[in-house]
Amino acid sequence: MNKSFSEKFKGFLKSWEFVLIMILLLEVVVFATKNPKFLKPAVLLGSINDIISICIISVFVTFCMITGGIDIQVGSIVGLTSIIIGVSWQDFGFNIWGAAVMGIIVAALCGALSGFFVAYCDVQPMVVTLGGSFLYSGIALLISNLSATASYKGISGFPDSFKFISKFRFFGVLPLQVVIFVVLTIIAYILLNKTKYGRMLFLVGANRQAAEYSGINARLVTMVTYILSAMSASIAGIILTSYLGTAKSDLGSTFTLQIITACVLGGTLSTGGKGSAVGTALAAVVIGVLKFGLPLAFGVNQQYMDIPVGALLLIVVIVRAALNNQKVIAFFHKKK
Amino acid sequence: MNGLKKFLKAREAGSIIFLILLFFIVGCMNPAFLKPASLLACLNDSVVFTLLAAGIAFVILTGEIDVSIGATLGMSAAIAATILRDGGNWGIALVAALITGALIGLVNGWGVSVMNIPSLIFTLGVNGVVRGMIYVFTKGAWVENLPGEFTKLANVMLVGQLTVFYVIAIVIVLICNYITKKTKRGRYFTAVGDNISGAALVGIPTTKTKILAYVLCGVFASLAGMAYTSRIGFVTPIAGNGYEMKAIAACVLGGVALTGGQGSLFGAAIGAIIMSSISRILIFMGFSSDYDNTITGVMLIVIVVVTTVMQNREIVRNHHDMLLARTNKEEVKKEVAEA
Repeated sequence: MNKSFSEKFKGFLKSWEFVLIMILLLEVVVFATKNPKFLKPAVLLGSINDIISICIISVFVTFCMITGGIDIQVGSIVGLTSIIIGVSWQDFGFNIWGAAVMGIIVAALCGALSGFFVAYCDVQPMVVTLGGSFLYSGIALLISNLSATASYKGISGFPDSFKFISKFRFFGVLPLQVVIFVVLTIIAYILLNKTKYGRMLFLVGANRQAAEYSGINARLVTMVTYILSAMSASIAGIILTSYLGTAKSDLGSTFTLQIITACVLGGTLSTGGKGSAVGTALAAVVIGVLKFGLPLAFGVNQQYMDIPVGALLLIVVIVRAALNNQKVIAFFHKKK
Repeated sequence: MNGLKKFLKAREAGSIIFLILLFFIVGCMNPAFLKPASLLACLNDSVVFTLLAAGIAFVILTGEIDVSIGATLGMSAAIAATILRDGGNWGIALVAALITGALIGLVNGWGVSVMNIPSLIFTLGVNGVVRGMIYVFTKGAWVENLPGEFTKLANVMLVGQLTVFYVIAIVIVLICNYITKKTKRGRYFTAVGDNISGAALVGIPTTKTKILAYVLCGVFASLAGMAYTSRIGFVTPIAGNGYEMKAIAACVLGGVALTGGQGSLFGAAIGAIIMSSISRILIFMGFSSDYDNTITGVMLIVIVVVTTVMQNREIVRNHHDMLLARTNKEEVKKEVAEA
């Protein structure tokens, strides 16, 4: 097991994470040569607010995908958390941090409900979380009606201590939310690779029956992944609410495509059993930089941003499928 | 009697009974809902979702999924509306829309069945690209000022109080339902979804069947786009956003199993009626239409969980029966009695 450093390094060069870092570097080089403003730390790190939610959520949706499931309700949980914070702070007089904690608890309960149906009732994850996305966005809308403020306006005027989350910068440049993202990624990495839970998770994803026969509580393991992804969505919702300064019920409704893209681009197998937190985090950053750099460097309209994200997803899956294709493999062998 | 038993065993029966019960309960609380005009309006309102759900039912029957139909609807609606606005013939607009839908379906089918890419991921990517292309095509603007003859078409009644679009849609759905249930080639879809390896072994062209399902799904989505354009009267770049999820929900409500191989297009059409009458029902019950998503979510989850749990019990019971048949029955019965 004790590999030497050079062996480890060679393994790293072959890994998918290395490819992602190369793509990221390529993006930075291309965008920076086109528009030098891109490299200014203030600009680069300032843009992080637009992508940080996707980065945080996709790292934990990876957990669901490792078990062979999928979670498409996270977008609606972002909005639910946001509106819970807004309404309980403004209309029910909660402390803002109490409201944030309540948002996380409600999100965890939502995740637990969906996770229960997936794990204990054996319903397809796709359908449950589809129903969940309707249900939780509907509940968010109903909660926003409890408020004195009209729902389309959003609740604003949060105290400065809450805005602190998105305003504070370490050493004047490093935003707090980036630190949160890095810390959460490290936690996810440790959970997946260094704990018993992580090993159980991979086994459940690779072969659920084998996992159950070896005494793993596969149902509980699966349910916990949905709680984790919902909690990460609510953390993203808190950060997004703090950054925008308004609580709205429809925040995050457009996140699904980008989150799944990040997971798949990060090397997660949608059939389960394979995936990495670091890979997904890197992939999410690749998507974020792409979405930020294209308008800045090439003047691409922000509205067209679905095309590069979708195209990136398609290219990755097609190339990966082609590399696994018997005919293509045979073709390359002949050449050698 | 035999026919009734057969009906009750079919997966659509639950949905139909649910629909009738739903309408009956709402009718008890507010009799105005049960007036023919109101009931027919429910049918007329469901035309877009009926077409979308029936289209995606082909794909779901083969065991795959297509989340790009919302964007397909938007794209074909935008193209058709632009042709109509610039004074084009409505026939040309229809053909252009159908070709758009078929092409997008072809790409989806290629990716899913030839390249073997998980369908949710591939169609999600296609969804993003097509959605972006709508912005490029319309330059982010609304397509407005459509000719009056076309927008009036949505209000032309054909049979009693049923609009032309709904009659056309339901006729197409019923014909396709017959084909997928009763003809040999039509049953390929179900066969592929039920057991793809088995289907391949008995000589069914599984790849072609899946591609055909996606093409049909795209064509249905573009038909829905035409109906949408005529009913709304303009097309925005976000037209059809999120409709794919509602269409999938309609299929599930109509008893089409997402695992493939079970359900029918007719069921999907029933599901679409349930789905799209919720907001009308809420108004008649005196609730705000803000409850729409909540009710849809609850209904979807409850129906799916109940059917899955019941199905799994059936599977376990069958398995037990099978094992019992193999062993000495008397001994096992004794053991069971003792336990």
